Amino acid sequence: MTASEPLLDRHFLERLERLTIHWQRSFSGLVGGHNASRFSGGGQEFLDHRNFHHGDDLRAVNWRAYLRLDKLFLKMFQIEPRVPVHLLLDTSASMTAGTGSKFEMARKVAASLCYVGLVRLDTIAVQPFSSTLGEGKVAGGGRHRFQPVMEYLQKIEANGASNFDLVVREFIHSTPQRGLVIILSDFMDDRDCLRPLQYLSDYGHELLLMQIYAEEDRTPPWNGELELVDAETHAEVRLQFDDQAREQYTKAFDEYSAALQQLAVRNGGRFACVSTATSLEDVIFDSLVRTRGIA
Amino acid sequence: MSFLNLTLGQFLTLFVAAGGVAFVLYLLDRSRRKVVVPTLRFWTAAEQPTAVVRRKTVSQPWSLLLQLLGIFFLLLAIAQLRWGAFAGKPRDHILLLDTSAWMNARAPNATAPKLSNQPRRSLMDLARRQAALYLRELPGSDRVMLVRVDALATPATPFLSDKIALLQAITDSKPGSTALDLGQALAFAKRTQQLSPNRAGDIVYAGPGRIIQTDEAVPTVRNLRVLPVPDAIANCGIRHVGLRRSRDDSTVWEVYASVRNYGTQPKIETIAIGFGGAPAGAQQLTLPPNADREATFTLRTHAAGLLDVRLSPTDDFPDDNRATLEIPAVNGLTVTVYSDAPDALRPFFGANSRVSAIFKPTAAFNPETTGLVILDHFRPATMPKIDSVWIDPPTIGSPVPIRTHVDKPEALRWSSDQPIAAGLRTKDARPDSATVFEAAPSDLKIAEIGQGPVLVARRTDDGHRLVVLGFHPASAGMRYQLATPLLIGNILRWLAPDAFRSLDLSASSAGTVNAELDAAPQPDSIHVIRADGQQLPFTLNGRSLHFFSGTPGIVRVIAGSHESVYSLSLPGMWTTRWTIPANARRGPPALREKLDNPRDLWQFLALLGAACFLAEWMIFGRMNRLLRRPIAAVSGRLKKAS
Repeated sequence: MTASEPLLDRHFLERLERLTIHWQRSFSGLVGGHNASRFSGGGQEFLDHRNFHHGDDLRAVNWRAYLRLDKLFLKMFQIEPRVPVHLLLDTSASMTAGTGSKFEMARKVAASLCYVGLVRLDTIAVQPFSSTLGEGKVAGGGRHRFQPVMEYLQKIEANGASNFDLVVREFIHSTPQRGLVIILSDFMDDRDCLRPLQYLSDYGHELLLMQIYAEEDRTPPWNGELELVDAETHAEVRLQFDDQAREQYTKAFDEYSAALQQLAVRNGGRFACVSTATSLEDVIFDSLVRTRGIA
Repeated sequence: MSFLNLTLGQFLTLFVAAGGVAFVLYLLDRSRRKVVVPTLRFWTAAEQPTAVVRRKTVSQPWSLLLQLLGIFFLLLAIAQLRWGAFAGKPRDHILLLDTSAWMNARAPNATAPKLSNQPRRSLMDLARRQAALYLRELPGSDRVMLVRVDALATPATPFLSDKIALLQAITDSKPGSTALDLGQALAFAKRTQQLSPNRAGDIVYAGPGRIIQTDEAVPTVRNLRVLPVPDAIANCGIRHVGLRRSRDDSTVWEVYASVRNYGTQPKIETIAIGFGGAPAGAQQLTLPPNADREATFTLRTHAAGLLDVRLSPTDDFPDDNRATLEIPAVNGLTVTVYSDAPDALRPFFGANSRVSAIFKPTAAFNPETTGLVILDHFRPATMPKIDSVWIDPPTIGSPVPIRTHVDKPEALRWSSDQPIAAGLRTKDARPDSATVFEAAPSDLKIAEIGQGPVLVARRTDDGHRLVVLGFHPASAGMRYQLATPLLIGNILRWLAPDAFRSLDLSASSAGTVNAELDAAPQPDSIHVIRADGQQLPFTLNGRSLHFFSGTPGIVRVIAGSHESVYSLSLPGMWTTRWTIPANARRGPPALREKLDNPRDLWQFLALLGAACFLAEWMIFGRMNRLLRRPIAAVSGRLKKAS
């Protein structure tokens, strides 16, 4: 993909407008549970206008506009200045290793989720991470704020080694407000990343883990003598690889994915494991919808 | 078994080199591979004992074998391995495809297509099919020259090994208009094969073998192959149609038609003529097998038009069931005689049906007169602008200056080499008086006496002709002479030759046409002209004139005062059936012949080589990896869903 090419096309964005990001917990200080009551009606910060429909609160009607245009417009107000949705995007070198475009898929999924949130007037904070938590970008205020988010995502580059322990620690310190944490990563950390994730959940965040993997990450296609280089640590291993070894490798990978899923589900979160061979449409409208991450 | 492109040594060298490269590449491909992976944590679970297999060992021998086999077969294909005895150079065949007019006949019922809505195939279709089948059986390296044969042998292609081009040329072949001269075609094929640098192959004739009988016998050809085409067809057709203007009445045409039954059963046919779309006569003919019958008709017309001759009922060869001739209009000669004593001249012009004479007094002279004008003892104020005959013109104003007048002259001497004096031998013609002219050197002196010429003919500068008589043809000394009407006839014929030209019309077939002339004219005076004005070459043997026209059309033969118009609208018909020599092979090559012929195997070898590489790729190559990937993904997904 070239730098000028957008991550998502217009047609796909139109399809995303029907979706909503779901979370299950009630976070203290926020309207909880679901997204149905985002508008307090009383209003604190003006957000936008929309056409008046029967049943709307007459107090929110812009009467000045009515007098001028002879048409009823409803003023909308944003009542959630705090951040309920955090999107952590893995930018470690492992995301670009091999032939699979995991990082590309992660950026597209992140852009899609941002757009879904913006359409529903959610506020989403996108934060890249590898060994440390990077400087993020807060997106909110409607779909017309999507362009800066997409430009931001396009500029992000993947490098460095992932360190979930450090990243979670930094995140908890910088974000006292609990909310929905969506992590887009391959979770290929040589260290144990289950413990930091458990810690994150214990702190009060609701987890939506999305494991993105390339097919060769799960089923290496090579045979014979291999010289393996870790993309993040550059450590090397030489071994003989055959069909039997391949089965063992795949089994270990699946067990790791199952452990991630178990962690998420056990803590009231959700887990999705998607391959880069899957199309973005299937990821959003199939995998994420089935896990009830969005609806 | 033999190689066409490579020697055995070259083949082995190439195979060893390519096999060696493949083997080295194979070993390199199976050597240690460096891979960058996202993490090493899963690899440790799959790690095998560190006893690494030596790099130079062939770990997948079947993969290497398949690769070497693929190279082997592809090299064999490039070397053009051939099955059969090594025969050196490829062969050159000549395919004589019959395109005579008879090939337009519909095929016999037994070979007709079963569906009734399809048109019946012609003999040409059958011959094309036979030729294509033969071509398909030939080895790819053999060359073939396609020659279309009818009255002429016309090469359609040079020696080609491109079968697609040859099949296209066969498809493009169409029946011509002439009969088959097989002897000429076989002689041409023999000569052409002798000139070819390659080995001589077959001389193949595809057709029913209906030929025209010629003086020369069909030559014997050693390597002849015949692709017979069945033609058991009952056919009756018009062979010849002739028209001649009646001698008694110039408006009457005598029509003569000759019809032949080519079949083996007697038939009853009706021949009918029509002129200008209207029926003009019909006759019923009983035709014995292999016999001709003639029918004659009389047609009266002044006008020009098309004469249509039809034979019914039509048969499987309809081309010779109809003939068309173009009849010209009757053009007579109008003679205007200005004379104050017309009675003496009337008998000279009343005897010829092609001449219509108008007698007028000299006082009624009209300078706009058309046709031919005769001025009797009279000189008009303005000279006529047409051909003219002056009888004893006055001294002043004569078109030829007058030298003197002679009474009681001696007998006339005729210049017999002049057409006006043709046939005049008499020495008894003695006019009462004669005017002697002062003839110019270019004038034709037809008759003379001792004092000089008394009958002079001249071509004027404006292209007209005039004849000046110094005596009156009806004078006492000439009136009862037989030479006098002959002299008048010659003068009129010299002045207006077109009006007196005898005309024959005939419908016949294209090809070689033999014309019998009334007399043996000078070759310079003979013209054989097509309708587009093109002169055709001809040969003259006594009174027999021969010319060739390969295409239908109208050809005029003008010989002196006689003109024959040949409407070559009938197809050239065969006269006999060719007996296929006993040593000639029939039909496409038999299996034994095909096995004797070297046969190309490169297509199969190339396929085998490709199959080896494909199998190697599917079993050991990337395809195996590609296939394994989605299957593994699906199984993993299913596992997670469960």
